[in-house]
Amino acid sequence: MSYELVVGLETHVELSTNTKIFCQCTTEFGGEPNSHCCPICLGMPGTLPKLNKKVVEYAVKAGLATNCKIRNLSKMDRKNYVYPDLPKAYQVTQFDKPICEDGYITLSSGKSIRINRIHIEEDAGKLIHERGDTYIDYNRGGVPLVEIVTDPDIRTVDEAVEYIEQLRLIMKYIGVSDVKMQEGSLRCDVNISVRKKGEEKFGTRTEIKNMNSVNFIAKAIAYEFERQVDILESGGEIHQETRRYDSDLNITESMRSKEDAEDYRYFREPDLVNIYVSEEEIKKYKAELPQLPHEKLNIFINEYGLPKDDAELLIKYKKVAEYYEEASKNLKNKKLASNYILGQIYRKFPTDSEKEEFNISIPPKYLNDLIQLVESRKINSSMASNALEKMLDSGKAVTEFISEKDMEGIDENTLRELCIKAVNENQKAVESYLGGKEKAFKSIIGYIMRETKGKADPIKATEIIKEIIGKI
Amino acid sequence: MVSKEEIIKIAKLSNLFLDENVMEEITEEMAKIVEFADAINTIVCDEDIEFDNINQIENAFNEDEVVESYSSDEVLRNREGGENGYFLVRRRV
Ligand SMILES: [Zn+2]
Repeated sequence: MSYELVVGLETHVELSTNTKIFCQCTTEFGGEPNSHCCPICLGMPGTLPKLNKKVVEYAVKAGLATNCKIRNLSKMDRKNYVYPDLPKAYQVTQFDKPICEDGYITLSSGKSIRINRIHIEEDAGKLIHERGDTYIDYNRGGVPLVEIVTDPDIRTVDEAVEYIEQLRLIMKYIGVSDVKMQEGSLRCDVNISVRKKGEEKFGTRTEIKNMNSVNFIAKAIAYEFERQVDILESGGEIHQETRRYDSDLNITESMRSKEDAEDYRYFREPDLVNIYVSEEEIKKYKAELPQLPHEKLNIFINEYGLPKDDAELLIKYKKVAEYYEEASKNLKNKKLASNYILGQIYRKFPTDSEKEEFNISIPPKYLNDLIQLVESRKINSSMASNALEKMLDSGKAVTEFISEKDMEGIDENTLRELCIKAVNENQKAVESYLGGKEKAFKSIIGYIMRETKGKADPIKATEIIKEIIGKI
Repeated sequence: MVSKEEIIKIAKLSNLFLDENVMEEITEEMAKIVEFADAINTIVCDEDIEFDNINQIENAFNEDEVVESYSSDEVLRNREGGENGYFLVRRRV
């Protein structure tokens, strides 16, 4: 019997505000333990929290960028649970009136993954367990998050991976989060169940909490699918529970069953007033949204004429995409700029995080200048590539490395004389070319490029040589 | 109902010392408090109460500007145990 995977994702995205959600402590990552704290984020009795205005703006933008409806009037609630990462013994979150609802993200296959809701909440502190004792750092406590919850629409590991990557990119593009997964600013809870193909009813689900690697999420889903199918096939039943993924062993293991706990006694947070977002504000936030990754992708493919694979590589990093847009301005062949970036320039940024940062030494204008010279055939591509290497190393403009004289190239008469000389001095190569060895032609061109120190236009030289040989 | 065992457990978790001879009395008092709080379940509420707030205001916001946090010394001043700037929860229960 064949089974179908059913996955829903709850993604926590840490917002890149300057200050925490209810106080004005910094949200900076790291720092000495408990050095970014005050009585409010430590949950001292008698303190009064106040919502950070930017958090509302960012949550609304996250909603707008994922096609959500924005609730004009919302509020915060308390979710009660006792665990030392929350000094108040409750988390301030949104329960029944989330700020955004009913959105979706469209995958490359055209299928939409529905977003059930996006709500605002506070992050918890960081715990370090040692020999049964627990050490607590509250620096992260009170850092603002949005939790983005999908409907159980995901059916394959690939869909889960694409959804997370798209979501990550969208949040990055709209500037509400730096979404550094290794620093935990994007974390997923994964709900997984299986059902027989054709069945309407969902199976009992398990939840794997707090995953911050796309790779591990993919492996955990694949493992959990197999595990659940095996249980059902051998006549057993799935228990609703929270499981943990062990990346060393590539297995999931039970943490706690859902029967104990899960009564969070939600109630309205009385210390915080209602949140009202007007239609005008929503309109304003919408207008402030930049071009989203899928919009850029369409433009790169349909207007700039890039192959899909190249366009995808460019939009994967926001800074690279923006650099490319500038560097390809007014070019007849915009693919040329993409080729330089994805080839020679990317070699300087081998890792993912280096491409993400994209600290390139030359402004896009310099690359554009260089390519204009190639397009107008003032320099040939080997000269351009040499110059680009020097530009990247020094951060200087193309004019530093290519003079007016270089750009003049070789005038046609000189080139013709040279070609005659080349044919005379490379008789053997000429003969084997005429004998059908195409390769031999390259050594004749190589001779000309050597003689002119790369200044000759190889295309023109080829024309002239073929003309000369043709007369022989 | 609240049992004596529950009172002992709560006292232990809260770091409170309770004399054996007040135990009966406290258990009884606690039971009354919980019973009183249970009255809240009799309230009939409609949708609007969701947005009831004692102050008829909305949108009281902080600006997103960093204010210096408390010094670690001050933050950690009343902690019990702990080291290297961390709070400590000892193994219990
Ligand atoms: Zn604080």
